[in-house]
This record gives sequence, structure tokens and C-alpha cells, in this order.
Amino acid sequence: MKDYRITFEKRGRVKYISHLDLNRCMIRAIRRSDLPAWYTEGFHPHLYLMFPLALSLGAESICEVMDFRLTEEVPDDEILSRLNASMPEGLKAISVHEPKYEAQHIGSACYDVTLQGENLSQFWNDFISQEQILTEKKTKKGMKTIDIKPMITIEGMTAENDNLCLSLRLPAGNEGNLNVTVVTDAFQKYAEKPILVTKILRTKIFCQNGEIFS
Amino acid sequence: MLKDKIEQYLLEVQKPSRYSGGEVGQVVKDKSKVDVRFAFCFPDVYDVGMSHLGMKILYSLINERENYWCERVFAPWTDMEEVMRREQIPLYALESFDPIKDFDFIGFTLQYEMSYTAILNMLDLAGVPIFQRDRGETIFPMIVAGGPCSCNPEPLADFFDLFILGEGEEVNLELMDLYKEMRDNGATRSEFLKKASQIQGVYVPSLYDVTYHEDGTIDAVTPRENAPATITKRVMVNMDESYYPKQVVVPFIEIVHDRVSVEVLRGCIRGCRFCQAGFLYRPFREKSAETVCQQGKALCESTGYDELSLSSLSTSDHSQIEEMLDQLLTYTDERHINLSLPSLRIDNFSKSVMEKVTTIRKSGLTFAPEAGTQRLRDVINKNVTEDEVMRTCRIAFEGGYTQVKLYFMMGLPTETDEDIVGIAQLAEKVVDLFYSMPERAKGKLQVSISTATFVPKPFTPFEFEPQTEKAEILRKQAVLKKAIKSKRIKASMHVSDISQIEAVLARGDRRLCQVLYDVWKDGGYLDSWDEFFKAERWYSAFEKNGLDPAFYANRTRSYEEVMPWSHIDYMVSKKFLIRENQKAHAGETTPPCREYCGGCGANKCLGRPCFP
Ligand code: SF4
Repeated sequence: MKDYRITFEKRGRVKYISHLDLNRCMIRAIRRSDLPAWYTEGFHPHLYLMFPLALSLGAESICEVMDFRLTEEVPDDEILSRLNASMPEGLKAISVHEPKYEAQHIGSACYDVTLQGENLSQFWNDFISQEQILTEKKTKKGMKTIDIKPMITIEGMTAENDNLCLSLRLPAGNEGNLNVTVVTDAFQKYAEKPILVTKILRTKIFCQNGEIFS
Repeated sequence: MLKDKIEQYLLEVQKPSRYSGGEVGQVVKDKSKVDVRFAFCFPDVYDVGMSHLGMKILYSLINERENYWCERVFAPWTDMEEVMRREQIPLYALESFDPIKDFDFIGFTLQYEMSYTAILNMLDLAGVPIFQRDRGETIFPMIVAGGPCSCNPEPLADFFDLFILGEGEEVNLELMDLYKEMRDNGATRSEFLKKASQIQGVYVPSLYDVTYHEDGTIDAVTPRENAPATITKRVMVNMDESYYPKQVVVPFIEIVHDRVSVEVLRGCIRGCRFCQAGFLYRPFREKSAETVCQQGKALCESTGYDELSLSSLSTSDHSQIEEMLDQLLTYTDERHINLSLPSLRIDNFSKSVMEKVTTIRKSGLTFAPEAGTQRLRDVINKNVTEDEVMRTCRIAFEGGYTQVKLYFMMGLPTETDEDIVGIAQLAEKVVDLFYSMPERAKGKLQVSISTATFVPKPFTPFEFEPQTEKAEILRKQAVLKKAIKSKRIKASMHVSDISQIEAVLARGDRRLCQVLYDVWKDGGYLDSWDEFFKAERWYSAFEKNGLDPAFYANRTRSYEEVMPWSHIDYMVSKKFLIRENQKAHAGETTPPCREYCGGCGANKCLGRPCFP
């Protein structure tokens, strides 16, 4: 028995499949690949699969992570080639390795966000220089207002014609998570005009200690 | 590109992957190398349509031909429909994202009557003229339909170029071949239709004139242009040699029947007099155990599904059922696959079959005695006795089951209050049995009763019968409620005007086309969904067109009456249906086909007795 972690891409129209659907899709892909997958014991055995960090519907990624277990050791390139042969268009395993960190170590994630609309960089600068950026958050006790401004780190910004490309780093994981769509929604609301979110791409997942999650 | 435009809006709607394609198993071809394109349309949402077996068979079958391309189209849910109308996105096929208006064929499957308004809406979303007569002489797109409701296609006659009767495996390709040849030679729509009407199983409604008597019944259906006087359904004679897919499309979202299935047999030997499918799919033909196993394995391997279902009208009637299960279970156990048998019958639910199935899953048991007393069960020829119900429940309770669901119909021919009370009594006996068993499973027993209003259907011995009116059904439900004593019995009863509309459409004639059109114009769409069905729309459309729904739903037909489907032949003779109707009224049963041939005529396609 051996634990494996793959890093995979989720790009193109598979961005429309939810986290739950991705889980089912991966189970089937592993079953089709005929890799010696490990099943849980008990009355209803199921294929063991774990995603340390979910991705929101509509976002793409080049750094998704999935853990699974095989009953015997299989060479890395064989795992990759067999998985890639059985995955749907848009999902692609890039690398496979032994898990180093655990889900609770995750601290932040980076996103490239592309927005479309007139004068966007001006609006964005105004938006981000506000004292506070208040948003409503659903919690178990009902709606809560939170300030997301301190949570947003801007790592890059380019504007070209009507396109604004942002690189954002946002907290991620159990210790506090900020969904990238919360930021884009808040911006759309602030700008009070239609802004098209043409792309959200997760590019990196970091641990709290600053290392890449792997 | 249309694809990019659509993607802009997908995050506005629920379950966007209903509309984005790209699933494992979908077939994408190079357009420039394709001669004939077929848009297979299911007039309901993706989650429902993707569960349908017939679509999977025909999709793969057509796509096996290199130069033909079949793609999938489903009815958009109302949120997506709104986006499409607002942004002027035409109805498109999931594989290519091309608008289906430019396809050679647009084919609908007719699974239930309440989907008809969705068909009209889909044609409109596609940008295709709703009425056949407005489509002009350009040969494409050819609007065609098949599936069980084609047995009486008259309420849709004005909208379709042609209907395919019976099983589609061969005739679909024959039609496409003829189309390709004629189109390449520059033929017009009507030239093609004239020729197509000569293929067995193809019905071109525009080539028939219908005249009516003063009382509204049909006087005659007269063919023109050499079209055949009766159109006979198509049948695949050898099931082992019939095409079956090795790969199907694997959806991302959870669908209604989220599993792969192997069709183990077609037809049914039982002859329940209310069951349309039991007559439409005659004669009984089965696949060998070996074929079933091989097809099941191939599908599990190509899709990665962990549930395999053996589907048919009555899987336990397969002559090699135990052998088949043994063989399959060795494979499925090892592969962590659930085997499900959705249509086990109460009477031959043997202990060994049950043990095999329970090793896999232990959910509730469902039985369909359909009627509460033996007398009424004899009338409808549901040959299940109370003893059998009890015996099976005993086995089930010993096996650890604590939930039993019982399905009944209300408003059956000859039904009295005694039969209704019988439903409650039967359920009470099941409860008593459970508590009389010292070896019963732990936990509380739950017996649930569900009743549906009976809808008389064409090509059944009850095609002559009136449907019971809603007020009377309500009264009967009250009788049932009063008769239930035990707290362990839960009855779910639900009445809707849908049953009457379904009854109207099932046995309706061509005059209903205008009604359907008016209902759709008035906003009717996805009427099989309770939340969208609006009875007033239908009743006002009937009124507007001077038609009385009771004429279609609640009227007794004489044996001599010309039915709207009299010119259509599903191989079950009218003489036989009359005989069965008379026997029903006399309370006499007809044994299953395997024991005794009732002489329905369906064996004529085999050229031999069904069970030699
Ligand atoms: S021909 Fe006889 S055996 Fe065959 S389906 Fe009809 S009644 Fe049954």
C-alpha cells in the first residue's frame, strides 16, 4: 500500500464541474485507468480519494492536488500516463509524488484574474485603496460582515485595452479561506457596472510556512 | 464562436455542465468528413435524458458509421432557456456547439406525453418552423421522432416530417442512407418523404387525410401518394446480434439513473392489461447470459462506473437469470461494482436470487401488486396472488428488510370500493406478518403505499376504457385513507390534472396539435415537472379549440370505433385486444406467454412461435 499525491490541471470547460462532481469524475478516471486503487474496508467499500483544497466552480487551475492510495507501488510515469489516458478533456496530471504536507498546512493560494470592462484599472485602484472592503459572509449563525481588505495581497497587475489582469494572493485552507469570487463579486458591486470576469486561474498553493504545498 | 458566447453565461445558471459537453465517451468528428448530421433531442433536461437507454444505443450506433455524426441535445432548464432567449443563443448540440437548425436530422424521442410541449419549445429555440407545412421544400432539417409514444403520434402529426415506429436500430440507418442519396441528387423535402414512407416502420403523417364523424369520432384515415394503408413497427429479431454500445457518455453531474445498464431482454411475457410497454415491445426476446455479461463488463470498463443495472420490463423472467447473476457477481464483486436489478418480480423472487442481490445492497423492497383484491388483479391480469406477496415479504423480512413499498393504481376498469379497501387490507397483512415473525429484523417496519391514477393507453386491452374522473379518484382516496389503521403504513396520494391531460394526449387525434401549439404559446414548457404544469393553460386551449378533454379521456370506445392509431400496426392485433378486454370484464386471466400463447400476433415478425 502506498500513498500518492498528484498535481493536476483543471482547464477549459471542466471548470463548470463542481467539487463534488470532480470527485466522482476522478473516481471513474482511476477505475478506468485500471491502477490498483485501494478501497476502504467495511460494508460499503469505496475508492479512497482526497482533495486537500477545493476549487470554486468556474475557476481554472494549474496546481490542483489530489491524494489517493494504491495497493502496490507503481512507477510514477506509469501512473501519469495511465491517468492521463483516462481523464476527460481539460484534466491533466502533471506530476506525482509522495505527500509531504497535509491539508491543514495550507495557508494561501495565488490566482490570476482577468477582468473586462472600461477604465478598469482606475476602478480597481479606487476599490483597493478603500479603508475597508466590507462583504457579507454566510456563517452558521447567519450573515456576518467582514473586512476582506487585509486578506488581499496584490502580486501583480497589468492593464491592456479593456482588460485588467491581476495576480492575487489570498488566504486558503482551514485557518481561514477567502474565495476569489468573493473579491470579484465585491469589485463588481463597487464598480456598479457590468464587469466581465473572463478568467480565474489558480496558479499556486502555499503552506503557512511559505513553501509550495506538495 | 457560439461556444465562447455560451460560456460567458454558464455561471449564471444551475448545473452549468448540463450545457458544456466534454464528457468522457462523447463522440466528436471532423465536420468536413461527415455526410449526415443527426441531432438526437431528448425533450427534457440533461439529467433525465442522459439516463435514457435508447438514446445511448442509437447515439453509438449512428456514430459507428464514420460519415454519420450523431450529437446530443437536451431541453434547457428554465434558467438557461431565459439566457438563450435573452442572448439569442440558438439550440445547439453538445458535441460541436453548432446550432441544430443546420443539421440534416433533428430527432426527438417520445418517452412520455407530457414532454410534448418541450418539443415545440425546443424547435422554436432551434429556429425551426414549428409546423411541418411551414418548412418548405429544402430537404433539411428533417424533423423526426421515435420511441414508445410514436404508437399514437397523431397529437404531434402536424409538427413532424415523419415518425419511426418500433425499434430503431436498423431503420434509423436506412433512413439516413436514403436521405444522403436523395439529398446528393437534389431531392426536395416532399420527394424524400414520399420515398421514406415506403420503408417499413416509417410513418409520414402529411401523407394521410383524416375525416371525422359528426360526433367527433374518426370516420377514416386515408393514405395518399401510395403511402401504405397500415404502417407496421420494426422489430430486432435476434437480440444477441443486435447492436449494443461498448462505450457510453459519462456525465459529470449526477443524473437520474447514474449507472451503466445492459438491456437483458425486450418484451414481456406477462400481459398485464394496463401496461402499454408490455404490448408495444412484444414479442419477448432475450440475450444469452453470456452476451449480457460480456456487454456489462465492457461498459463498466470503458466508463469506470461502479454500478451496473440489468434492465428490462421484467429481468427475473430471463430464462437463465441465476446463471447470469452468478457469472456477473464474480466479476462485479471483485471490481467493487454494485449490481442492481430494478425490475424484479414479486412472484418469482426466489430465495437464492434474493440472497445474491442482498450481498450487494440492502435497500427497501418495492412491489407493484397494482390492485388491492384478487378479483381486480385478475381483471388487469396482474398474476400476483396475496400468498405470493406474503411469501416474498417473509423472505425479505428474514433477509433483514424493514421497508416495503407497495405500488397501486386507482381508477382501474370495474374497480369498486371493496378493491380500494383491499389495498389497505393487503398492507395491514404485510404489517401483521412482520410482527408475527420472531426472526424478523430489528428496527421499525415501514410499509408505504403509493397510488397513481390509471391512464388507459393505446395498444392495450384497456384502450377502449374511460379514465376515472378526478372527483371520483379523490373520493376513492378518502375511502383508502379511512381504511388504513396501522401507524406503520404510510400512504402517499397525490392527484393532479396531469393524469387527465396525459390520458387525452395518449389517445388523442390530430385536432390536438392546435391545442398543444396554443398551450406552448401560452408558456407551456417542461409540463412533466409539477412546478411548471399549469392545468388552466390546457383547459383554456381545449376550450378555445372547441374540444372536450372528457371526450378523449373519460369516454368508453366501442370495439368498432376507428381509433386515431387504427392505421398503425404494433403487431398486436385488435382482435386479441378485444378478446383480452372481454376476458378482463369477465374476470378471467391469461397465462404468461411462456406457458400459453394467447395468439396476439406479435410472433409474425419471428416467423415461428415465440416459445417453440
Ligand atoms: S404471439 Fe403468443 S407468445 Fe408471442 S407475444 Fe403474442 S401471445 Fe405471447
